[in-house]
Amino acid sequence: MVSSNTCWHLDLGQIDYQSAWTLQEQILALRTEGLIQHDVVLFLEHFPVFTLGRRGGHENLLVSESFLRTKDVSLYQVERGGDITYHGPGQLVVYPIVNLNIQKLGVLPFVENLEEIMIRCAAEHGINATRNPKNRGIWVGEKKMGSIGIAVRRGITFHGMALNGKMDLTPFSWITPCGLKDIAVTCMDRETPNAISMSQIRRSVFQHWETVFNVRLNSMAMSDMRSLIDRSRPAAN
Amino acid sequence: MKTLEELNFPDHLKYDKEHEWALFDGDTVTIGISDYAQDQLGDVVFVELPEVGQTFSKGDEFGTVESVKAVSQLYMPIGGEIVSINTALEENPERVNLSPYTDGWMIKVHPSDTSEMGVLMEKQQYVEFLKG
Repeated sequence: MVSSNTCWHLDLGQIDYQSAWTLQEQILALRTEGLIQHDVVLFLEHFPVFTLGRRGGHENLLVSESFLRTKDVSLYQVERGGDITYHGPGQLVVYPIVNLNIQKLGVLPFVENLEEIMIRCAAEHGINATRNPKNRGIWVGEKKMGSIGIAVRRGITFHGMALNGKMDLTPFSWITPCGLKDIAVTCMDRETPNAISMSQIRRSVFQHWETVFNVRLNSMAMSDMRSLIDRSRPAAN
Repeated sequence: MKTLEELNFPDHLKYDKEHEWALFDGDTVTIGISDYAQDQLGDVVFVELPEVGQTFSKGDEFGTVESVKAVSQLYMPIGGEIVSINTALEENPERVNLSPYTDGWMIKVHPSDTSEMGVLMEKQQYVEFLKG
């Protein structure tokens, strides 16, 4: 029995940005049309990519696009809030496709919940992370460890949050992260003397997600989601 | 976040389910977002509005607001042609939070079909809708 406060959870492993973006759009369409009855949360890691928010300009990219090509890093401009950011392996990205009207949640409390989940995950690993209402995301001292950038269409969210777990932070030095000058970036692995793995971080975020949003995450296989998407499409001629 | 009792919903406005308000004055309709909407969004840092002369149907997206790293779409409570936009929001987007019904107005529209007004909610209906 799937109760009303159930949310589908899909773990996509490592996936390229374009595929995950397309998938979000497809799930968003299903949710908007009521063809899927529950909210959906995607857990994943991206291959190296920079993304610019809706208003983000290329001025915060400090290297040339040809340099990025030599490093095999792509660049996308997307509809989410916030400025430029980097995603790469070792960073847990979560894309919630959540109907805020049904959950009776405003944008602000939703964003605060995302921060809360990342803060609790950090605390569980002995890291004291905090929020800064002027600069959203989570911070360890002056260093940014988790980012948020969402979009809301017809009351339904997409895009989401990125928690730096155990990753190479070098590409952050090629940008002015979030358009904020002089900020440093960190990851969980650097802030704790203990060994940490991405599977631990996934588990921790999963559990805190259930508590903070008061939902139960039920796993769905990608093949099941794929057939829902295929069934909703008009047959090709 | 404020409670419903703390929020302000003027009697003379109409409201829609996407939390826009509409003020009918002669052949022009002024549109903005409600006190509830601004409170739920948090501090607005950017407002993206359409160009004067553009025409939209009821329910179409006419712009976006960005707050707390979130971009939210805005929807037309009534169809029509944009006759004016609040350019002051470019420099002072916080007006949407501070005075959503006055300085924080967003667009003025010349409606294409005034019968669409009928489906908008009066204050009392909107408050009931918010109580859900």
